[in-house]
Amino acid sequence: MSAIGTELLRVEGLEKHFPVTRGLVFQKEVGSVKAVDGVSFTLNAGETLGVVGESGCGKSTMARCIARLLEPTGGSIMFDGRDITHLDRTAMRPVRRDMMMVFQDPYASLNPRKRVGSIIGEPMEVHGVGSDTERKRRIQDLLEIVGLNPEHFNRFPHEFSGGQRQRIGIARALAINPRLIICDEPVSALDVSVQAQILNLLKDLQGDFDLTYIFIAHDLNVVRHISDRVMVMYLGQAVEVGSRDDLYREPKHPYTGALLSAVPIADPELGRSRKQMVLEGDVPSPLNPPKACRFHPRCPRFVDGKCNVDTPPLEPIGAEDHLAACHFPLERWPLTDEEFRQRSETVAATD
Amino acid sequence: MALLEVNDLHTTFRTDDGLVQAVSGVSFSLDEGRTLGVVGESGSGKSVTFLTLMGLVDPRQAQVRGSVLLRGEEMLGASQSRLRDVRGKQIGMVFQDPMTSLNPVKRIGWQLEEAVLIHHDVTRKEARRRSIQILKEVEIPKAEERIDDYPHQFSGGMRQRVMIAMALINNPDVLIADEPTTALDVTTQAQILRLMERLQAEHQMAIVMITHDLGVVAELADDVIVMYGGRVVEQSDVTGLFAKPEMPYTWGLLGSLPRLNVQGARLEQIPGQPPSLLHPPTGCPFNPRCEFVMNICRQELPPLEASAAGADHLFRCHLDAAARTEIWQQKQAAMMSEDAA
Repeated sequence: MSAIGTELLRVEGLEKHFPVTRGLVFQKEVGSVKAVDGVSFTLNAGETLGVVGESGCGKSTMARCIARLLEPTGGSIMFDGRDITHLDRTAMRPVRRDMMMVFQDPYASLNPRKRVGSIIGEPMEVHGVGSDTERKRRIQDLLEIVGLNPEHFNRFPHEFSGGQRQRIGIARALAINPRLIICDEPVSALDVSVQAQILNLLKDLQGDFDLTYIFIAHDLNVVRHISDRVMVMYLGQAVEVGSRDDLYREPKHPYTGALLSAVPIADPELGRSRKQMVLEGDVPSPLNPPKACRFHPRCPRFVDGKCNVDTPPLEPIGAEDHLAACHFPLERWPLTDEEFRQRSETVAATD
Repeated sequence: MALLEVNDLHTTFRTDDGLVQAVSGVSFSLDEGRTLGVVGESGSGKSVTFLTLMGLVDPRQAQVRGSVLLRGEEMLGASQSRLRDVRGKQIGMVFQDPMTSLNPVKRIGWQLEEAVLIHHDVTRKEARRRSIQILKEVEIPKAEERIDDYPHQFSGGMRQRVMIAMALINNPDVLIADEPTTALDVTTQAQILRLMERLQAEHQMAIVMITHDLGVVAELADDVIVMYGGRVVEQSDVTGLFAKPEMPYTWGLLGSLPRLNVQGARLEQIPGQPPSLLHPPTGCPFNPRCEFVMNICRQELPPLEASAAGADHLFRCHLDAAARTEIWQQKQAAMMSEDAA
């Protein structure tokens, strides 16, 4: 097992393009949805990487590619020093023991006809871990670890509430001691008070079992709470990556700034007095994404002739490990409305 | 006279398992041009309260008691034709899921025109003119062309704009928005909230914002009702509620919120699950999950009483004033220290 702080996962230039076809018999490819288009990051053992972005930005597709539930169409995934990008099913099997997923909808991700015990025990069965009695003891331990009554292993999922079902999902993910858990919107279907329980549980488990998380959510507050590092995605690409504090205190990419300022603040005075940047329009279609910087049609700092011509690289801005893909990153935070809208014409001229 | 006055509203559903007390004794009033935020978890009765007052619960399945006065007119027990007249004309409603609340096989324009034609004796041409105008008001670009599109040709945010347009097309006095932004992304949510604010100012209507998101309430509402287990447990103007909440459930809600401006190692969690309305706990509905529970909490429902801050801030709790002040100060201090850490 790798020690805390060493590199566990390295993703480079990951791509997943879904073909769009026409015709019934002779299917002709007429284009592709670039759901994930060149995402790179590294993840150290014991760390939590938060991934945020609006729906359709490719965050779930990326997670599914990393777990190899989808076949990536480009790039590479190194897990614990091993290239797993194109491993076949048999070769993937031992890797899967180290990599588990927790899904968004606790109602849909548990088989309603199976008892909770066999749901949680399934990963052990698949990987041939332990004898029947050992498994049963482990299932009961797991139920207790996630805060459920160990006597309930004979119940069906419908007998549990949403929060309890999510605990079952987590117990199942923990069953064979994985090292990486990919959580895809694990709390977005839950009520606030229950959401706090699950977030606290995930944090406790991370400490107890040396877990590494990829935590996908659209809620920026939740991501800030749980992550060490955060990656912001837009239309299949990472636009900003940084440590949690850097990214939330001093966002560099205008999209991150807009996301942060769009979050409602649960404090009437603070919330109403702040300046808010409201983005116009919707996220463009990933079928035909905008050229160069994909954010340029909605960007308040758009400079004609630069942002729509040159693709900005993801490079360090400010701190060494704070990367952003923008020609005109934000100078400070929070910006006033005028500053945010200012098109740095002088900068454009000198470039 | 208040625009909308609800008194001691009860809604009970008959089910195979027994009676479900979805709403038990809810009272509040709403003045013109105000925004009322209604906060609660799923199953707290917040949606059913408003479905009941619009006459949208099936009388064969539900028993309804109490009184709902809209501009002084009793709505409970009103005839179906009167209710149909009120819905859409005096009360507009926007639902959570814009994907399922529009008819997928009818053009947007047809659906908007229908809303006009039901309530007004005008030609289809006039209805179409009004529809285009309202689409422009909710900032749909190229409204003249898009009016002939089908719902699937719109994005989620645009559909919610169409829903708002449909609710506003007859200039209602009250707009009831049930989780209008829950299914949307944050940037789209911000757009829709700003739009609702602007339209409220222009149309001078009252808004009821039903939500589980305390952030949305803090930004938009003038007054807030916190619901739990089918009852109002706290009620106040928005600044009062966030400055000094008076009962443990509201403390828990505020504490369990991960916030952008506050970061901490651990969230305060409310243990357990929301109560079953089939077998509600006796006494205070929150007592099984309350960390300050006393014997009396299990026996008697605390009355909705006024706080020291004024007669407008009501809450249910058996704890005495000194204890509540002390606990809230501790909780606040805990949140602040996390902020500094």
